[in-house]
Amino acid sequence: MSSDPVVTGILGTLLVFVLIFLGMPIAFAMMFAGFVGLTVLSSVEAALPVTASTLWEVASFYPYTVIPLFIIMGSFAGSSGITTELYSSFDKWTRRLPGGLAIATIGACGGFAAVCGSSVATAATMGTVALPEMERFKYDQRLATGSVAAGGTLGFLIPPSIGFVVYGMLTEQSIGKLLVAGILPGVLLTFAYIAIVVAWVRLFPNAAPTNPDQVTWGEKFRALYGVREPLFIFLFVMGGIYLGFFTPDEAGAIGATVLLLISLIKRKLTLPALFVAMTEAIRISVMVLMLVAGANVFSYFMALSTIPMQAANWVATLQVSPYVIHAVIILIYLVLGCFLDAISMMVLTLPVIFPVILALNFDPIWFGVIAVLMMEAGLITPPMGLNIFTVAGVAKNTSVETIIKGVTPFLVAIIVVAVILTAFPQISLFLPGMMKR
Amino acid sequence: MFERLKGIIQKTTRALAYVGMALVLPMMLLTSADAVARDFWSRPIPGAFELSSYMLSIFVLLGLAYAQQTKDHVRATMLVSRLPEKVAAAIASVTTLLCMFIVAILFWQGIVVACETQCVSDMLRISQFPFRLLVSVGALFLFLEFGFDLVESARKLVS
Repeated sequence: MSSDPVVTGILGTLLVFVLIFLGMPIAFAMMFAGFVGLTVLSSVEAALPVTASTLWEVASFYPYTVIPLFIIMGSFAGSSGITTELYSSFDKWTRRLPGGLAIATIGACGGFAAVCGSSVATAATMGTVALPEMERFKYDQRLATGSVAAGGTLGFLIPPSIGFVVYGMLTEQSIGKLLVAGILPGVLLTFAYIAIVVAWVRLFPNAAPTNPDQVTWGEKFRALYGVREPLFIFLFVMGGIYLGFFTPDEAGAIGATVLLLISLIKRKLTLPALFVAMTEAIRISVMVLMLVAGANVFSYFMALSTIPMQAANWVATLQVSPYVIHAVIILIYLVLGCFLDAISMMVLTLPVIFPVILALNFDPIWFGVIAVLMMEAGLITPPMGLNIFTVAGVAKNTSVETIIKGVTPFLVAIIVVAVILTAFPQISLFLPGMMKR
Repeated sequence: MFERLKGIIQKTTRALAYVGMALVLPMMLLTSADAVARDFWSRPIPGAFELSSYMLSIFVLLGLAYAQQTKDHVRATMLVSRLPEKVAAAIASVTTLLCMFIVAILFWQGIVVACETQCVSDMLRISQFPFRLLVSVGALFLFLEFGFDLVESARKLVS
């Protein structure tokens, strides 16, 4: 069959978007469009085995063990009681600050994100601990739910992060370097979120009544004890990757094993909790890897259509600053984030956007951080922000509209951090640049 | 009769997923033990790498249908959730049929590709054949899950 590859590629891309908006599961929409596209541009004999072979290659690719291992690590962290201890520790230190409980929520989310790769898990587990406390002290529901939903997004940026793993898979970049690159931007975003809380409470003091209970310095230092487990695991896991002792898969396995042991020693892990942890691991892993398999089939079609190459060449010849194109890409991600979930957005856009980024001579690790940051924004942009619905599930008496209003100011923090990371790429690249391997 | 058959198949789907997910703990322990043995005693566990790959393939492929049963395969429902029920059901029928088409290809080609393979793992010389065949097993149950969804959509359409 002979047809113009670019026209076929554009039609195939349109087909994917139409199917997605008609409610077809995204992984299968991409696989279907990829199969049809390969048939048109090559032959049905060539297209047929690609589907099954791709699924097998994705399902049996050793580096992808990192996904279930990071997920189960987060589940064991939740079961081990780390969440409550972290929250209590941060509360002791931030209680006298304006919006102290909301700041403690964000700090604890950041701490939990250091042992959990999922933003939804971070928001859900922290929500169950933090929301009742903020309700008890009559916090504005918008501030309370907004801080949990936004804090939860830190799980996507602070390593271990599923977002970096998927970006690394799709772009063939070092997952270890990407994870390490997320550390400083993650800390920066945590402080940016805290700044939003402080500004909010300064403008509207009634949003966060102060807790009158005094905390002695002795209590504060004893509270630091609650940070020791996540800190130890984070340093052990990320230190191991940083120093080249472990691959990310091994780090995930060791982190999960240590947390399993902690849960068993503390007698916190019940059989039902273990079952839930394993069920969660299989459900999320299959969902993510099926998306990757669909995206890979679609990427073969895209490569055959020559669209990524031509788009990269076209962009390279444009007489505009690469930062204008970068800004346009960020805008596209912000808009897509309103309709698609983070991983879907990544698998849909990266086959075309990544070659463009390379053609513009941007650092692929740095762009990985920016991409993951924008996916984070997608987690809290209405109407499809996953974290908004997660928090709505935990905060039973709060409307989705209230959470959307609460989370909107935190979007400003993400944009500001994206601008800072663009102006100072070394914030992302400093640590990976010093890695042993 | 249909409901009974559906019940049996869905129970089998869950049982397969439980077999797959039970492997996450051995995968975790094996990978940890391998890394520790290599870093501390310079003696990695022979074949740990390929055993983990095979365990991952069982974990993922046996979980394919279960993820559909629990509706975990991501969909954008923003548009269809705003449409009248019958229109949404008609659209769901078409998209489910397209899913069944691609999954049927996975089932068929899974067998073809598995039968053609002569590959064995590098160190333990374990044949890839039975693991590759799981592509078809996973696809078969996934096809049936989509089939149940299709019946559900068709019922809404005619009700």
